[in-house]
Amino acid sequence: MRDKLQDESDYFGELGQDEELAQTLGLLDPAQQDPNYWFRFRSWVLSNAMAELARRRLMHELTVADVMSSWARAVVSTAALAAALAGLVLVRGADAPAPQPVGVEELLVSEVEGETIPTLLAPETNGAVAFASEIF
Amino acid sequence: MSLERSDIPTDGDLVHRARRGDEFAFGQLVERYQRASYAVALSVTGRHEDAEDAAQESFLVALQRLDECRSPERFAGWLMTIVRNRSRNLVRRESLRHTDQVPPGTRSLVPMPDRVAETSELRGMLKEALAALPEVQRQIVLLHDLEGWKHREIADRLELPSGTVRSHLHFARKALRVSLGRTPAGPDLQRKAL
Repeated sequence: MRDKLQDESDYFGELGQDEELAQTLGLLDPAQQDPNYWFRFRSWVLSNAMAELARRRLMHELTVADVMSSWARAVVSTAALAAALAGLVLVRGADAPAPQPVGVEELLVSEVEGETIPTLLAPETNGAVAFASEIF
Repeated sequence: MSLERSDIPTDGDLVHRARRGDEFAFGQLVERYQRASYAVALSVTGRHEDAEDAAQESFLVALQRLDECRSPERFAGWLMTIVRNRSRNLVRRESLRHTDQVPPGTRSLVPMPDRVAETSELRGMLKEALAALPEVQRQIVLLHDLEGWKHREIADRLELPSGTVRSHLHFARKALRVSLGRTPAGPDLQRKAL
C-alpha cells in the first residue's frame, strides 16, 4: 500500500526526494570514499584548462589591441606617405626660379623713371603727377 | 552574511567571463556542474573511471567550444550533451579495445572488513540495477536522486518534456526498488550499509 502510494505520488505529484533511494544512490558518489574527491576533480580540470584560458585572455586583449594597432598602422602609413609626397613637391619646387620680391614702392613708381615716392609726393615737387587707376 | 540572489552570477554571466579567459568564472562553472556531469557520464559508461574521464574531458571540450554555446543561460543543457556524447564515444572506444572488465558486483579476492565488503556488494548490486535501466532513465534518476536536481531542471537541461521526465523517474525508481528489494540480500544489505 505504501509502495503504491509512493508510486502514485512519484508519478502525479511533485516528485519529491526518495530519501531511501537517494541514500542508496549516494554510494555512487565518489566523495563518500574520498571527501576531497570533488576538490581534486575541479583542480584537475582547472590545471588542464590553464593553457586555453590563457589563450582566451590573450585573444581578448589582442582583440582590443588589434583594433588600436590596425588604426595606428593606417594613420602612420598615410601620414608617412603624405610627408613623403610633400617632401617630393618641396624638393622639385626648389629647382624652379624663385619669384622676385617686388616692393609696393617699386610698383607705384614703375612708370616714373628715376623718382621715388617721397620725391614725387614732396610739396616742393613741381610738375604734374598723374595717378591712373583702372577699375575692373 | 548571505548572498543576495542577484549577487549569484548566472550561468550566462559565467560563460561570458569564461570566454574572456576568466579562470574564476570557469572554476565556478566546473564547481556548479561537476557532480551532474559525473552522474550523466556514469549513467552512460557505468564505470567510475570512465565516468571521471568523460566528465573531466567534457569540461575541457566545453571550454574550447565555449564560443559555440549559443545560449549561455542554457549552458548546463549544452554541457550535458557534450558529456553524453563524450561518454558514448568512450564506451565505443572501450568496447573496440575489448578490455577486460571486472563484472559489476564481482567480489574482490582481497579480504575486506565486513562493512566495506557489504557496501561494496551493495554498490555492485546498485550498478547492476542501474545497468538494467534505459540510459535516459539512469540519467534522470541519478540527476534527481543523487544530484538533487528538480524534475523541471532536468526537463529543461536535457531538453525533454516535463511529463516524460516524471514518467522516466517514476519507472526508474520503481525498477530500482524492485531490483534492490528482490535481490535476496538486498534490503538487509541496504540497512547495514546505510
